[in-house]
Amino acid sequence: MDPKLSLCAILLPLLCLQTWHRVDGVQFEVSSSTTKCVSEEIQRDVVVVGDYKIAFTSSDNLSVTAKVTSPYGNQLYHQENVQSGQFAFTSKESGNYMACFWLPNAPPNVNVNLALDWKTGVSAKDWASIAKKDKLEGMELELRKLEDAVESVHHELLYLRDREAEMRDLNELTNSRVAWFGIMSLLVCLAVAGWQLWHLKTFFEKKKLL
Amino acid sequence: MRIWALLLGIAATALSVCLRTADGLTMTVHKVECVYEEVEYDGDMVYGNFVVQDYEIFWGSDHPGIELVVTGPQGNKVHSSTSKEAEKFEFRAPRRGLYKFCFHNPALAPEDLTFYIHVGHIPGIQDLAQDENLKPVNVKIAQLAEALEAVSAEIRYMQNRDKRHRSTNESTQRRLIAYTVAESVMLLGASIGQVYLIQQLFSKRIGYNRV
Repeated sequence: MDPKLSLCAILLPLLCLQTWHRVDGVQFEVSSSTTKCVSEEIQRDVVVVGDYKIAFTSSDNLSVTAKVTSPYGNQLYHQENVQSGQFAFTSKESGNYMACFWLPNAPPNVNVNLALDWKTGVSAKDWASIAKKDKLEGMELELRKLEDAVESVHHELLYLRDREAEMRDLNELTNSRVAWFGIMSLLVCLAVAGWQLWHLKTFFEKKKLL
Repeated sequence: MRIWALLLGIAATALSVCLRTADGLTMTVHKVECVYEEVEYDGDMVYGNFVVQDYEIFWGSDHPGIELVVTGPQGNKVHSSTSKEAEKFEFRAPRRGLYKFCFHNPALAPEDLTFYIHVGHIPGIQDLAQDENLKPVNVKIAQLAEALEAVSAEIRYMQNRDKRHRSTNESTQRRLIAYTVAESVMLLGASIGQVYLIQQLFSKRIGYNRV
Protein backbone atom coordinates (compact mmCIF):
# COMPACT_ATOMS: atom_id res chain seq x y z
CA MET A 1 0.00 0.00 0.00
CA ASP A 2 2.74 2.43 1.02
CA PRO A 3 4.71 2.63 -2.24
CA LYS A 4 1.42 3.15 -4.08
CA LEU A 5 0.50 5.96 -1.71
CA SER A 6 3.83 7.69 -2.23
CA LEU A 7 3.37 7.27 -5.97
CA CYS A 8 0.03 8.98 -5.68
CA ALA A 9 1.58 11.72 -3.56
CA ILE A 10 4.04 12.40 -6.34
CA LEU A 11 1.33 12.33 -8.97
CA LEU A 12 -0.92 14.72 -7.08
CA PRO A 13 1.09 17.89 -7.80
CA LEU A 14 1.46 16.80 -11.41
CA LEU A 15 -2.28 16.35 -11.67
CA CYS A 16 -2.68 19.82 -10.20
CA LEU A 17 -0.46 21.18 -12.96
CA GLN A 18 -2.37 19.25 -15.58
CA THR A 19 -5.68 20.84 -14.66
CA TRP A 20 -4.23 24.30 -15.18
CA HIS A 21 -3.63 23.65 -18.83
CA ARG A 22 -7.25 23.35 -19.66
CA VAL A 23 -9.25 26.39 -20.62
CA ASP A 24 -8.83 28.38 -17.46
CA GLY A 25 -9.15 32.05 -16.84
CA VAL A 26 -11.41 34.52 -18.48
CA GLN A 27 -12.12 34.33 -22.19
CA PHE A 28 -12.88 37.23 -24.45
CA GLU A 29 -13.45 37.72 -28.12
CA VAL A 30 -10.83 39.13 -30.40
CA SER A 31 -12.08 40.04 -33.84
CA SER A 32 -9.98 40.68 -36.88
CA SER A 33 -10.57 44.41 -36.95
CA THR A 34 -9.99 45.32 -33.31
CA THR A 35 -7.30 45.07 -30.68
CA LYS A 36 -8.37 43.78 -27.29
CA CYS A 37 -6.42 45.13 -24.37
CA VAL A 38 -6.73 44.17 -20.74
CA SER A 39 -4.77 45.73 -17.94
CA GLU A 40 -4.29 45.48 -14.25
CA GLU A 41 -2.85 47.80 -11.66
CA ILE A 42 0.04 45.94 -10.08
CA GLN A 43 2.40 46.87 -7.25
CA ARG A 44 6.13 46.53 -7.59
CA ASP A 45 7.98 43.26 -7.01
CA VAL A 46 4.98 41.13 -7.82
CA VAL A 47 5.33 38.00 -9.94
CA VAL A 48 2.91 37.96 -12.85
CA VAL A 49 2.32 34.84 -14.91
CA GLY A 50 0.07 34.86 -17.96
CA ASP A 51 -1.11 31.96 -20.06
CA TYR A 52 -3.11 32.61 -23.19
CA LYS A 53 -4.48 30.34 -25.87
CA ILE A 54 -7.12 30.33 -28.54
CA ALA A 55 -10.04 28.57 -26.91
CA PHE A 56 -12.55 28.57 -29.69
CA THR A 57 -12.42 29.77 -33.23
CA SER A 58 -14.79 29.71 -36.14
CA SER A 59 -12.11 28.90 -38.67
CA ASP A 60 -8.75 27.19 -38.32
CA ASN A 61 -5.28 28.50 -39.05
CA LEU A 62 -5.85 31.66 -37.09
CA SER A 63 -3.02 33.01 -35.03
CA VAL A 64 -2.89 35.84 -32.57
CA THR A 65 -0.24 38.39 -31.68
CA ALA A 66 0.30 39.20 -28.04
CA LYS A 67 2.09 42.15 -26.51
CA VAL A 68 2.61 43.00 -22.86
CA THR A 69 3.71 46.50 -21.85
CA SER A 70 4.81 48.02 -18.59
CA PRO A 71 3.32 51.28 -17.22
CA TYR A 72 6.20 53.27 -18.75
CA GLY A 73 5.63 51.74 -22.16
CA ASN A 74 8.46 49.22 -22.15
CA GLN A 75 7.68 46.05 -24.01
CA LEU A 76 7.87 43.07 -21.70
CA TYR A 77 6.69 40.36 -24.09
CA HIS A 78 5.93 40.25 -27.78
CA GLN A 79 5.01 37.18 -29.74
CA GLU A 80 3.56 37.11 -33.23
CA ASN A 81 1.39 34.57 -34.98
CA VAL A 82 0.97 32.00 -32.24
CA GLN A 83 -1.93 29.84 -31.12
CA SER A 84 -0.94 29.90 -27.47
CA GLY A 85 1.82 31.18 -25.30
CA GLN A 86 2.99 32.00 -21.85
CA PHE A 87 4.68 35.00 -20.34
CA ALA A 88 6.05 35.74 -16.90
CA PHE A 89 7.67 38.78 -15.40
CA THR A 90 8.29 40.50 -12.10
CA SER A 91 6.95 44.02 -11.92
CA LYS A 92 9.70 46.59 -11.40
CA GLU A 93 7.44 49.55 -10.87
CA SER A 94 3.87 49.87 -9.70
CA GLY A 95 1.36 50.88 -12.29
CA ASN A 96 -0.88 49.69 -15.07
CA TYR A 97 0.40 46.62 -16.88
CA MET A 98 -1.38 46.00 -20.16
CA ALA A 99 -1.66 42.93 -22.36
CA CYS A 100 -2.93 43.48 -25.90
CA PHE A 101 -4.05 40.91 -28.43
CA TRP A 102 -4.93 41.23 -32.07
CA LEU A 103 -5.28 39.07 -35.14
CA PRO A 104 -2.78 39.88 -37.85
CA ASN A 105 -3.35 38.70 -41.41
CA ALA A 106 -6.85 37.52 -40.71
CA PRO A 107 -9.80 37.77 -43.11
CA PRO A 108 -12.44 40.28 -42.04
CA ASN A 109 -15.34 39.37 -39.75
CA VAL A 110 -13.60 36.53 -38.02
CA ASN A 111 -13.87 36.03 -34.27
CA VAL A 112 -11.62 34.19 -31.94
CA ASN A 113 -12.24 33.35 -28.29
CA LEU A 114 -9.02 33.95 -26.48
CA ALA A 115 -8.55 32.46 -23.02
CA LEU A 116 -6.23 34.46 -20.79
CA ASP A 117 -5.15 33.14 -17.44
CA TRP A 118 -3.58 36.08 -15.68
CA LYS A 119 -2.18 35.26 -12.28
CA THR A 120 -0.43 37.63 -9.94
CA GLY A 121 1.17 37.23 -6.57
CA VAL A 122 0.15 34.17 -4.58
CA SER A 123 -1.61 32.33 -7.40
CA ALA A 124 1.40 32.84 -9.66
CA LYS A 125 3.67 30.82 -7.43
CA ASP A 126 4.94 27.54 -8.78
CA TRP A 127 3.30 25.29 -6.22
CA ALA A 128 4.46 22.10 -7.89
CA SER A 129 8.12 22.89 -7.30
CA ILE A 130 7.48 24.21 -3.79
CA ALA A 131 5.62 21.00 -2.98
CA LYS A 132 8.50 18.93 -4.27
CA LYS A 133 11.12 20.99 -2.48
CA ASP A 134 9.43 21.04 0.91
CA LYS A 135 7.92 17.59 0.47
CA LEU A 136 4.38 18.79 1.06
CA GLU A 137 1.47 16.69 0.03
CA GLY A 138 -2.24 17.09 -0.32
CA MET A 139 -3.65 18.83 2.72
CA GLU A 140 -0.37 20.40 3.81
CA LEU A 141 0.04 21.97 0.39
CA GLU A 142 -3.46 23.39 0.51
CA LEU A 143 -2.88 24.80 3.97
CA ARG A 144 0.38 26.38 2.85
CA LYS A 145 -1.50 27.98 -0.06
CA LEU A 146 -4.09 29.30 2.38
CA GLU A 147 -1.35 30.71 4.59
CA ASP A 148 0.13 32.61 1.66
CA ALA A 149 -3.30 33.83 0.65
CA VAL A 150 -3.91 35.20 4.15
CA GLU A 151 -0.55 36.95 4.03
CA SER A 152 -1.40 38.63 0.74
CA VAL A 153 -4.82 39.65 2.06
CA HIS A 154 -3.08 41.27 5.01
CA HIS A 155 -0.73 43.20 2.70
CA GLU A 156 -3.60 44.37 0.56
CA LEU A 157 -5.49 45.61 3.58
CA LEU A 158 -2.49 47.57 4.81
CA TYR A 159 -2.12 49.13 1.38
CA LEU A 160 -5.79 50.02 1.36
CA ARG A 161 -5.45 51.62 4.77
CA ASP A 162 -2.56 53.79 3.57
CA ARG A 163 -4.47 54.89 0.50
CA GLU A 164 -7.45 55.76 2.65
CA ALA A 165 -5.26 57.87 4.92
CA GLU A 166 -3.92 59.77 1.92
CA MET A 167 -7.41 60.34 0.62
CA ARG A 168 -8.58 61.61 3.99
CA ASP A 169 -5.73 64.12 4.04
CA LEU A 170 -6.64 65.27 0.56
CA ASN A 171 -10.27 65.69 1.56
CA GLU A 172 -9.42 67.74 4.60
CA LEU A 173 -7.13 69.93 2.52
CA THR A 174 -9.89 70.47 -0.02
CA ASN A 175 -12.32 71.31 2.76
CA SER A 176 -10.07 73.97 4.27
CA ARG A 177 -9.26 75.33 0.83
CA VAL A 178 -12.94 75.72 0.02
CA ALA A 179 -13.34 77.90 3.10
CA TRP A 180 -10.25 80.00 2.37
CA PHE A 181 -10.98 80.49 -1.30
CA GLY A 182 -14.57 81.42 -0.52
CA ILE A 183 -13.48 84.12 1.90
CA MET A 184 -10.80 85.27 -0.56
CA SER A 185 -13.34 85.51 -3.39
CA LEU A 186 -15.62 87.53 -1.17
CA LEU A 187 -12.79 89.89 -0.19
CA VAL A 188 -11.75 90.30 -3.83
CA CYS A 189 -15.35 91.08 -4.74
CA LEU A 190 -15.68 93.68 -1.97
CA ALA A 191 -12.30 95.23 -2.79
CA VAL A 192 -13.14 95.53 -6.44
CA ALA A 193 -16.54 97.07 -5.66
CA GLY A 194 -14.85 99.57 -3.34
CA TRP A 195 -12.29 100.46 -5.98
CA GLN A 196 -15.03 100.94 -8.58
CA LEU A 197 -16.93 103.35 -6.36
CA TRP A 198 -13.83 105.34 -5.47
CA HIS A 199 -12.61 105.58 -9.04
CA LEU A 200 -15.96 106.64 -10.44
CA LYS A 201 -16.41 109.19 -7.65
CA THR A 202 -13.06 110.83 -8.43
CA PHE A 203 -13.83 110.66 -12.13
CA PHE A 204 -17.18 112.40 -11.78
CA GLU A 205 -15.70 114.98 -9.41
CA LYS A 206 -13.05 115.71 -12.03
CA LYS A 207 -15.75 116.08 -14.66
CA LYS A 208 -17.59 118.42 -12.29
CA LEU A 209 -20.74 116.32 -12.55
CA LEU A 210 -20.86 115.55 -8.83
CA MET B 1 -8.31 -1.81 -9.35
CA ARG B 2 -7.75 -0.16 -5.97
CA ILE B 3 -4.83 1.91 -7.26
CA TRP B 4 -7.06 3.35 -9.99
CA ALA B 5 -9.73 4.20 -7.44
CA LEU B 6 -7.09 5.85 -5.30
CA LEU B 7 -5.75 7.82 -8.24
CA LEU B 8 -9.24 8.87 -9.22
CA GLY B 9 -9.93 9.98 -5.68
CA ILE B 10 -6.80 12.04 -5.55
CA ALA B 11 -7.58 13.51 -8.95
CA ALA B 12 -11.00 14.51 -7.70
CA THR B 13 -9.45 16.14 -4.63
CA ALA B 14 -6.92 17.91 -6.80
CA LEU B 15 -9.65 19.14 -9.11
CA SER B 16 -11.91 20.29 -6.35
CA VAL B 17 -9.32 22.17 -4.37
CA CYS B 18 -6.84 23.25 -7.05
CA LEU B 19 -9.50 24.66 -9.30
CA ARG B 20 -9.52 28.24 -8.23
CA THR B 21 -10.36 30.47 -11.14
CA ALA B 22 -10.30 34.10 -10.20
CA ASP B 23 -9.88 36.87 -12.70
CA GLY B 24 -9.66 40.57 -12.06
CA LEU B 25 -8.86 42.75 -15.03
CA THR B 26 -9.48 46.23 -16.41
CA MET B 27 -10.74 46.78 -19.91
CA THR B 28 -12.33 49.54 -21.93
CA VAL B 29 -15.98 49.15 -22.80
CA HIS B 30 -17.10 51.00 -25.92
CA LYS B 31 -20.62 49.77 -26.54
CA VAL B 32 -20.67 46.20 -25.30
CA GLU B 33 -17.89 43.93 -24.18
CA CYS B 34 -18.36 40.30 -23.30
CA VAL B 35 -16.18 37.97 -21.31
CA TYR B 36 -16.69 34.27 -20.83
CA GLU B 37 -16.04 32.06 -17.84
CA GLU B 38 -16.10 28.33 -17.72
CA VAL B 39 -18.10 26.74 -14.91
CA GLU B 40 -16.93 23.23 -14.22
CA TYR B 41 -19.68 21.77 -12.09
CA ASP B 42 -23.43 22.16 -11.77
CA GLY B 43 -24.41 24.33 -8.87
CA ASP B 44 -21.11 26.16 -8.52
CA MET B 45 -21.22 29.57 -6.92
CA VAL B 46 -20.21 32.41 -9.22
CA TYR B 47 -19.57 35.75 -7.66
CA GLY B 48 -17.82 38.89 -8.67
CA ASN B 49 -17.89 42.63 -8.78
CA PHE B 50 -17.19 45.43 -11.17
CA VAL B 51 -16.30 49.09 -10.73
CA VAL B 52 -16.44 51.71 -13.45
CA GLN B 53 -13.32 53.85 -13.38
CA ASP B 54 -14.39 57.22 -14.67
CA TYR B 55 -11.40 59.44 -14.95
CA GLU B 56 -12.91 62.43 -16.67
CA ILE B 57 -16.43 63.00 -15.45
CA PHE B 58 -17.81 66.44 -16.03
CA TRP B 59 -21.44 65.95 -15.27
CA GLY B 60 -22.44 62.82 -13.37
CA SER B 61 -25.56 62.33 -15.48
CA ASP B 62 -23.46 61.76 -18.60
CA HIS B 63 -22.06 58.60 -17.11
CA PRO B 64 -24.95 56.42 -16.03
CA GLY B 65 -22.78 53.36 -15.45
CA ILE B 66 -22.57 49.92 -16.95
CA GLU B 67 -25.21 47.23 -17.27
CA LEU B 68 -24.32 43.62 -16.70
CA VAL B 69 -26.20 40.73 -18.32
CA VAL B 70 -25.12 37.17 -17.64
CA THR B 71 -26.29 34.41 -19.97
CA GLY B 72 -25.92 30.72 -19.35
CA PRO B 73 -24.60 28.08 -21.74
CA GLN B 74 -28.07 27.45 -23.13
CA GLY B 75 -28.69 31.12 -23.79
CA ASN B 76 -30.91 31.73 -20.76
CA LYS B 77 -30.45 34.93 -18.82
CA VAL B 78 -29.06 34.09 -15.42
CA HIS B 79 -28.49 37.53 -13.95
CA SER B 80 -29.02 41.09 -15.02
CA SER B 81 -28.67 44.47 -13.40
CA THR B 82 -29.48 48.06 -14.25
CA SER B 83 -26.86 50.68 -15.01
CA LYS B 84 -24.63 50.92 -12.01
CA GLU B 85 -21.25 52.42 -11.35
CA ALA B 86 -20.12 49.66 -9.03
CA GLU B 87 -21.80 46.42 -8.16
CA LYS B 88 -21.25 43.08 -6.51
CA PHE B 89 -23.08 40.14 -7.99
CA GLU B 90 -23.52 36.54 -6.98
CA PHE B 91 -25.49 33.65 -8.40
CA ARG B 92 -25.50 29.89 -8.38
CA ALA B 93 -24.81 28.45 -11.81
CA PRO B 94 -27.53 25.90 -12.55
CA ARG B 95 -25.60 24.07 -15.27
CA ARG B 96 -21.97 23.65 -16.09
CA GLY B 97 -20.69 25.27 -19.23
CA LEU B 98 -19.54 28.55 -20.65
CA TYR B 99 -21.18 31.57 -19.11
CA LYS B 100 -21.19 34.88 -20.91
CA PHE B 101 -20.86 38.14 -18.94
CA CYS B 102 -21.82 41.10 -21.11
CA PHE B 103 -21.20 44.67 -20.06
CA HIS B 104 -23.33 47.24 -21.88
CA ASN B 105 -22.33 50.88 -21.99
CA PRO B 106 -25.35 53.14 -22.62
CA ALA B 107 -23.28 56.32 -22.75
CA LEU B 108 -21.48 57.63 -25.82
CA ALA B 109 -18.01 57.80 -24.30
CA PRO B 110 -16.00 54.62 -23.65
CA GLU B 111 -15.66 53.64 -20.02
CA ASP B 112 -12.88 51.85 -18.20
CA LEU B 113 -14.22 48.91 -16.28
CA THR B 114 -12.46 46.84 -13.64
CA PHE B 115 -14.19 43.55 -13.06
CA TYR B 116 -13.56 40.45 -11.00
CA ILE B 117 -15.24 37.07 -11.51
CA HIS B 118 -14.72 33.99 -9.40
CA VAL B 119 -16.13 30.51 -9.80
CA GLY B 120 -15.97 28.56 -6.60
CA HIS B 121 -16.54 24.87 -6.12
CA ILE B 122 -16.93 23.09 -2.82
CA PRO B 123 -17.19 19.30 -2.91
CA GLY B 124 -20.67 18.35 -1.83
CA ILE B 125 -22.26 15.43 -0.03
CA GLN B 126 -22.50 13.31 -3.20
CA ASP B 127 -18.79 13.70 -3.81
CA LEU B 128 -18.08 12.66 -0.23
CA ALA B 129 -20.23 9.58 -0.62
CA GLN B 130 -18.84 8.54 -4.00
CA ASP B 131 -15.22 9.05 -3.24
CA GLU B 132 -13.62 7.25 -0.34
CA ASN B 133 -10.55 9.47 -0.20
CA LEU B 134 -12.42 12.70 0.12
CA LYS B 135 -12.69 13.29 3.83
CA PRO B 136 -14.84 15.96 5.47
CA VAL B 137 -11.64 17.87 6.27
CA ASN B 138 -11.08 18.38 2.54
CA VAL B 139 -14.52 19.91 2.34
CA LYS B 140 -13.70 22.21 5.23
CA ILE B 141 -10.44 23.22 3.61
CA ALA B 142 -12.26 23.96 0.38
CA GLN B 143 -14.79 26.08 2.29
CA LEU B 144 -11.97 27.94 3.99
CA ALA B 145 -10.27 28.58 0.68
CA GLU B 146 -13.52 29.89 -0.76
CA ALA B 147 -14.10 32.17 2.21
CA LEU B 148 -10.60 33.57 1.83
CA GLU B 149 -11.21 34.11 -1.85
CA ALA B 150 -14.38 36.01 -0.98
CA VAL B 151 -12.40 38.24 1.40
CA SER B 152 -9.86 38.83 -1.35
CA ALA B 153 -12.67 39.75 -3.74
CA GLU B 154 -14.07 42.26 -1.24
CA ILE B 155 -10.67 43.84 -0.85
CA ARG B 156 -10.28 44.18 -4.58
CA TYR B 157 -13.69 45.79 -4.79
CA MET B 158 -12.77 48.26 -2.09
CA GLN B 159 -9.46 49.03 -3.76
CA ASN B 160 -11.16 49.74 -7.07
CA ARG B 161 -13.78 51.94 -5.45
CA ASP B 162 -11.01 53.74 -3.60
CA LYS B 163 -9.29 54.41 -6.91
CA ARG B 164 -12.47 55.88 -8.26
CA HIS B 165 -13.07 58.05 -5.20
CA ARG B 166 -9.50 59.19 -5.29
CA SER B 167 -9.78 60.38 -8.85
CA THR B 168 -13.00 62.23 -7.92
CA ASN B 169 -11.24 63.91 -5.00
CA GLU B 170 -8.24 64.93 -7.05
CA SER B 171 -10.57 66.30 -9.68
CA THR B 172 -12.42 68.28 -6.98
CA GLN B 173 -9.15 69.75 -5.78
CA ARG B 174 -8.11 70.75 -9.29
CA ARG B 175 -11.52 72.20 -10.07
CA LEU B 176 -11.49 74.21 -6.86
CA ILE B 177 -8.21 75.89 -7.63
CA ALA B 178 -8.92 76.42 -11.31
CA TYR B 179 -12.43 77.78 -10.87
CA THR B 180 -11.45 80.11 -8.02
CA VAL B 181 -8.59 81.59 -10.01
CA ALA B 182 -10.76 81.90 -13.11
CA GLU B 183 -13.55 83.48 -11.08
CA SER B 184 -11.21 86.09 -9.55
CA VAL B 185 -9.66 86.93 -12.91
CA MET B 186 -13.04 87.31 -14.60
CA LEU B 187 -14.37 89.39 -11.73
CA LEU B 188 -11.41 91.76 -11.94
CA GLY B 189 -11.67 91.91 -15.70
CA ALA B 190 -15.43 92.57 -15.65
CA SER B 191 -15.17 95.32 -13.05
CA ILE B 192 -12.29 97.12 -14.77
CA GLY B 193 -14.19 96.81 -18.01
CA GLN B 194 -17.30 98.31 -16.40
CA VAL B 195 -15.37 101.27 -15.04
CA TYR B 196 -13.76 102.08 -18.34
CA LEU B 197 -17.03 101.72 -20.20
CA ILE B 198 -18.72 104.18 -17.87
CA GLN B 199 -15.77 106.56 -18.19
CA GLN B 200 -16.09 106.37 -21.95
CA LEU B 201 -19.83 107.06 -21.78
CA PHE B 202 -19.25 110.17 -19.78
CA SER B 203 -16.30 111.46 -21.82
CA LYS B 204 -18.32 112.10 -24.94
CA ARG B 205 -19.71 115.39 -23.66
CA ILE B 206 -22.94 115.16 -25.61
CA GLY B 207 -24.83 117.31 -23.29
CA TYR B 208 -25.52 117.90 -19.65
CA ASN B 209 -29.10 116.66 -19.95
CA ARG B 210 -28.32 113.51 -21.86
CA VAL B 211 -26.83 111.89 -18.76
